[in-house]
Amino acid sequence: MTMDRAVPEPPVASRRDLDLGYRLTLAFFVIAPTVLVAYKLLVNDYSLSKILPRRDFSVTLTMNLDGHDGRANVETFVPRSDENQVIAETRSNDVANMQVRTESAGANRISVWSGASVPDETQIVYSFRVLPTGRSYRIDPELQVPDRYPSALSSYLIGSEAIQVDSPEVLQTLRQIGADEGTLLHRIQKIYNLTSGFPIRPFKGMTDALTALRLGEASCNGKSRLFVALARATGIPARLVGGLIMTSGSKRISHQWVEAYVAGHWVPFGPTNGHFAKVPERYLVLYRGDESLFRHSSDINFDYSYNISSKMVPAPEARTAFGAFNLWALFDRLEMPFGLLQTILMLPVGALIVVFFRNVIGMPTYGTFLPALIAAAAKGTGLGWGMLSVILIIGAVSIARWLMQRLHLLHSPSLAILLTAVVASMLLSSLAAEQMGLSQLARVSFFPIAVMAIAAERFYLSLAERGVRDAITQLTGTLVVVAACFVVMNSLALQILVSGFPEVMAYVVAANLYLGRWIGLRVSEYLRFRGLLGTEVEA
Amino acid sequence: MMSSFLSKLRVLLAKRESVYGINRRNVELVYAHNQRGDYPTADDKDLCKRMLAECGVPIPRTLHVCANLYEAHLAVDSLDVYDDFVIKPANSSGGNGIIVIKRRNPNGTWEGSGGKSYTKKALQRHIANIVFGAFSNDEADKAIIEERVNFHPILQELSGGGGDLRVLVLKGNPFQAMLRLPTTASGGRANLHQGAIGVAVDIDNGKTGQAQISGRNLKIHPDTGNQLSGIQLPHWERVLETAKAAAAAMPLGYLGVDILMEATRGPLVVEVNARPGLEIQNVNNCGIGSAMEKGIRVATT
Repeated sequence: MTMDRAVPEPPVASRRDLDLGYRLTLAFFVIAPTVLVAYKLLVNDYSLSKILPRRDFSVTLTMNLDGHDGRANVETFVPRSDENQVIAETRSNDVANMQVRTESAGANRISVWSGASVPDETQIVYSFRVLPTGRSYRIDPELQVPDRYPSALSSYLIGSEAIQVDSPEVLQTLRQIGADEGTLLHRIQKIYNLTSGFPIRPFKGMTDALTALRLGEASCNGKSRLFVALARATGIPARLVGGLIMTSGSKRISHQWVEAYVAGHWVPFGPTNGHFAKVPERYLVLYRGDESLFRHSSDINFDYSYNISSKMVPAPEARTAFGAFNLWALFDRLEMPFGLLQTILMLPVGALIVVFFRNVIGMPTYGTFLPALIAAAAKGTGLGWGMLSVILIIGAVSIARWLMQRLHLLHSPSLAILLTAVVASMLLSSLAAEQMGLSQLARVSFFPIAVMAIAAERFYLSLAERGVRDAITQLTGTLVVVAACFVVMNSLALQILVSGFPEVMAYVVAANLYLGRWIGLRVSEYLRFRGLLGTEVEA
Repeated sequence: MMSSFLSKLRVLLAKRESVYGINRRNVELVYAHNQRGDYPTADDKDLCKRMLAECGVPIPRTLHVCANLYEAHLAVDSLDVYDDFVIKPANSSGGNGIIVIKRRNPNGTWEGSGGKSYTKKALQRHIANIVFGAFSNDEADKAIIEERVNFHPILQELSGGGGDLRVLVLKGNPFQAMLRLPTTASGGRANLHQGAIGVAVDIDNGKTGQAQISGRNLKIHPDTGNQLSGIQLPHWERVLETAKAAAAAMPLGYLGVDILMEATRGPLVVEVNARPGLEIQNVNNCGIGSAMEKGIRVATT
């Protein structure tokens, strides 16, 4: 061959100035957010704890009773706002033939439902929202137990039927554990060590202090009563606290812990779950004192349950912490939920995940934004049900397409029919799911129609252009990437970071700039060209 | 043990450099040498043929181009004088919407390459469908009617039908080539992902090498039973000259030139591709990087 085949110069070298621009841009998108974050943290004394979103709980108490068309009475403690828990949106349903009144009883609030001819299967629903703050105290080690207290506290020092302060066994135990002398911290530590060291015995019903002491094991109320009895006996005012541990789900179990009066503060102790001078934010106080949570007429088949759910909301401090760039205030003014802001802020992160899967792993997906959008939409239903919804809708689209195939319709009208199929399948699955009691799947209708319509159109196009196999490969890839997006976009740590420092989105741009010039082989291409890569290694 | 592993790893990393993935093809070849605004010119087979013709690049003769729905009957009237031809959309990929007519039936209808017969009305409807965008996602399109190429006997014998050559050209230099042969399984189409056979072609001398179908190696054509490797393709120097001429005619620095081998006229350019695929590396068992490097060695010795 004598052909003149002078060959390609290395292509990138000829674009040196373009590369300088690229490097400067990349550097800017890395340095600028770093400087801004550092400025906020160092110069503006901008602490991360201030912007941490808080957990907002919503609690629903459902009580069922059979009034047998006679007189019935139900009472329970309802929480009140204080410095540690803000109670809002208190609601009570209209109950046929029953009146509700709420009254103060000492430090507590009691709601009373009563009626003269209450029917069977009466349901009372009482709901409220709680924005709690955890409490934690440090007790001065030098602090002594005072000789006398104000007279208002005297009732917190004397015994009762279930809190046997004057029992010789209680006093003897006090001496044995060395809690009868020394500083206040020393005594309370000894009492805490004894009660929290008892094995937990999760039986229902009430245990008094002495029984708990004799058994050497107890449930939360037994441990708490013994704690209170010992504290009172050594001269520290103490009281029982009753409430709920707010974990998501439905529960019938209330919890008891204690508070001891230390230097003007009621300091909480949880001998059952190992909380010393502190309780977590999810401890909701319903009442104080040795009370029972419910009182009701006999023979009414009384039953109750608490249903608790929670979501993250911005801390009140954070709303004012943003100065000129106050996104949360804007959302407040527009009356948009904080969750929407989180979703919007996480979308670029989701898109970055998709880019990674497409360009680095080589997984085919429908579009760049669609998996991120589906993941955002799945927030309302949860990941599993969200994916099932997508598959249901795609299934409906495929059937509609199969039916329309013979009709030789033009592109746009057939897409409009597909959109109708999407809407119909969403409503029908909601109806069917509700009939079957699948409440999560019933929420498929919460999926934004626009997102599902785009998903359906993409699936239709790939079915039409590339055949069933490719369409299913793409669908599988899309679902995998949706799952990855869902996990990342719902990561609390990332949400906090992005909501607190929206400028870190510049890092997302930087990552995309980097991937935009990344020329490595995709993981899928190692597989595709394995023959090429493999044989040459052996050679 | 360790050092042999390391040397193997070093070989793998070096060889990885020679294999181009989509990311590297796009950044270093496509974006670096082609302006995005020029893609439509390359993608539109009608515009592309005009540009090639202006520069004297040999192409299959265009019999008619129909760009408007109301002209479809004129287009089909113009076919009365022809016995064989090809109807194809100007903008479609993967061979969609292409009808090959091979002869006229005694009753006045035409017979397609698959044996199906077409009335004048059926062809008119097909042309109208193309113009309406049935093969280009509702985007208005043009229907091209061109001569049916009479394939060179060597190719006819090899595959029983046609087949085309794909030549990769960077900055005017052809550096890698393959032959794509249709099979009955591929429905007469010459696209590798539709089941056509890819045959390696030595860019220096036009001799065929190993052959693959859907990623598997094969020795003989499943339809004809003929040996696929070791065949000397005709007019190889003219093929390379034609590929160069086509590259020079188009505003693209990196492109794939698709060439048909006509029985008497030799190489004809059917279309060019601004984003040629990467499977050519598997077919040739040689990365694009190695192929370009080999070109440098040839040029400097």
